[in-house]
Amino acid sequence: MRLLAEILAWALFALVVGALSVWPRYEMLERDDALVTLTFTHAAQRVGECRNLTQEEMNELPPNMRRPSDCPRERHPVRIEMRSADRLLYGEILLPSGIWSDGKANIYHRVVVPAGVHDLFIGMNDSGGLSGFDFEASRRVELHPGRNLVIRFDEQSQSFLIR
Amino acid sequence: MIEHLHRLGRSAFELLRRPLARAFDSDQNPLNQLGALTIFFSWIVLVSGVWLLIFFRTSVSAAFESVEYLTHEQWYLGGVMRSLHRYASDALIITILLHVIKEFVFDRYRLNRWFNWVTGIPLVWMIFALGITGYWLVWDELAQYVAISTAELLDALPIFTNSMAGNFMSDELLSNRFFTLMAFIHLIGLPIFLVFGIWLHVFRLNGPRINPPRRLMAGALLCMLLLSAIYPAISHEKANLAMAPQVLRFDWFYLHVYPLVQLWSPGSVWVLLIGISTVLTLAPWAPPARKTTVAVVDLDNCNGCKRCADDCPFGAIEMVPRTDGTNYTHQPSVDEGLCISCGICVGACPTATPFRSRSALVPGIDLPNQTAADIRDDITRNAEAPSDAPRVMVFGCRDDRQTKILRSAGANVVTVRCMAHLQPSYLDFVLSRNHADGVMLLGCENGNCNYRFGPEWTEARVTRQRDPRLRKRTDTARIAMGWLAPWADIANPTKRLDAFRDALSKMDAKT
Repeated sequence: MRLLAEILAWALFALVVGALSVWPRYEMLERDDALVTLTFTHAAQRVGECRNLTQEEMNELPPNMRRPSDCPRERHPVRIEMRSADRLLYGEILLPSGIWSDGKANIYHRVVVPAGVHDLFIGMNDSGGLSGFDFEASRRVELHPGRNLVIRFDEQSQSFLIR
Repeated sequence: MIEHLHRLGRSAFELLRRPLARAFDSDQNPLNQLGALTIFFSWIVLVSGVWLLIFFRTSVSAAFESVEYLTHEQWYLGGVMRSLHRYASDALIITILLHVIKEFVFDRYRLNRWFNWVTGIPLVWMIFALGITGYWLVWDELAQYVAISTAELLDALPIFTNSMAGNFMSDELLSNRFFTLMAFIHLIGLPIFLVFGIWLHVFRLNGPRINPPRRLMAGALLCMLLLSAIYPAISHEKANLAMAPQVLRFDWFYLHVYPLVQLWSPGSVWVLLIGISTVLTLAPWAPPARKTTVAVVDLDNCNGCKRCADDCPFGAIEMVPRTDGTNYTHQPSVDEGLCISCGICVGACPTATPFRSRSALVPGIDLPNQTAADIRDDITRNAEAPSDAPRVMVFGCRDDRQTKILRSAGANVVTVRCMAHLQPSYLDFVLSRNHADGVMLLGCENGNCNYRFGPEWTEARVTRQRDPRLRKRTDTARIAMGWLAPWADIANPTKRLDAFRDALSKMDAKT
């Protein structure tokens, strides 16, 4: 009888372990949804123009620190906007990284959208303007359920990649 | 507030203990071996993990195939090992959780036990990190979900300049080296820290229980093997970064936090996790338990026999060179930070004998708040005059509920700090001086003693297997020992006492 109880206790333990290791199932994305992921890092333009130093100014600098131009370190924030037709999917102003605000702005954002055809628009302003975009891209995409569409900004071609 | 929580937790434990007590003897009861059982499950994880490692390939493209090979082609061994690896990892989360709750509700985390409590918290973090990186390595849809969600969590910390989650946006961008790094963390890095962490967790204990009893190990292994055979662990579809995982067979033991990353935000999840860890870390001092007076050494009565140091469950007594100029080489030194005033050292001291009459009863080591002389006084005060009915003197552990119930039922009870606080010569004293016809020792069962070794040392001393041994002239038939969980709720508290009285009556009738 005691052995039976012992077996029963272990069986119950196994049941709990086995059950909670797979159940209840977790639905990360509903069956008719897809995902649009926006991810890239981008260094915005500097807040001011570089200025060429005069010869006198250069002479005043220590020899190892002489440089032809003086550029401000701080960069503009990066303004991002992503739309599907007229619906705003994501809009954000991202600050540059670093304590001097001179680093790249990081973006990683996921948006759940209904599967189907979307007229996607993505725009980025990195020059401090409050309206308009320095870079933009539009594409009609068909998103199947469960599709993860990734939008990146390619620094080499200076354009958005949607794939 | 804390005491209320403790009481509530004890009642919940009783609900779990009752059915388990029907299935297991006290020393085999999984509830009494939670720490050791956790280590045993870790052994299963380690051994099965070594087998998996032999066949596992640490690259993005080959990892999934190598796990599939183990699961399906080599199902008879690799598949079983994979399932064992998975289920033993899950099982140890249950034992850890119960272990933490038990130590909390029985107030075994304050005073000198803060160190074991606090060092246990990083262990929990490491175990979770091991589980999470383990899921990552399979590189199926669940691994993809875990990898991206973990990266999102880490991105919320001001550590990385670039987004880590951005690495998981396409199969082409994913680096094999990154994958190898994860494999290194899971297979070598974390296990090394874990072993060191376990050592740190228990090194202040005297004789820590590392292995559970063999029968319990066999039961646990068989349980895991059967589960692996009946319901083998399998993978999801291979990870595909162009697709988002939709419905996942979720391991709630390890991944329960991840849905919160989506529901709230990574930052909020960190606040929750760090908040819980901080509260747990500070728990031993919120509020601190009342410090009791520690054991005191009396060199005039100490011959440096070392038994107190051997029996101290918390390693609070160290033998140091003698300072009083006598011929004895060593003397005990009590570390006030480690002593918990259980009195087990007094029970181990050969000089703590109540038969002393020429000099005052001052043993080599004693507890100031309940001295050996106090116990002798309690015995003589509680002694009953001979009568027709057998007289039983009950010695009860202070923390034992049976003792309280019996006392309130009118039994003749003498309370000590822990049952092993009572040196065996006291039993001889009670019987030979005719203070009672029988002695009943009631304490907490093995594995549930607040002072770890109370029942073990007492049984060994009374059965004359450990010093100081019970004198041979003492009739052990007149000594009854009863060990129960300290929170056990006994429906009829006097039943056991009555049964012992009946046994004594029969014994007296024969003589």
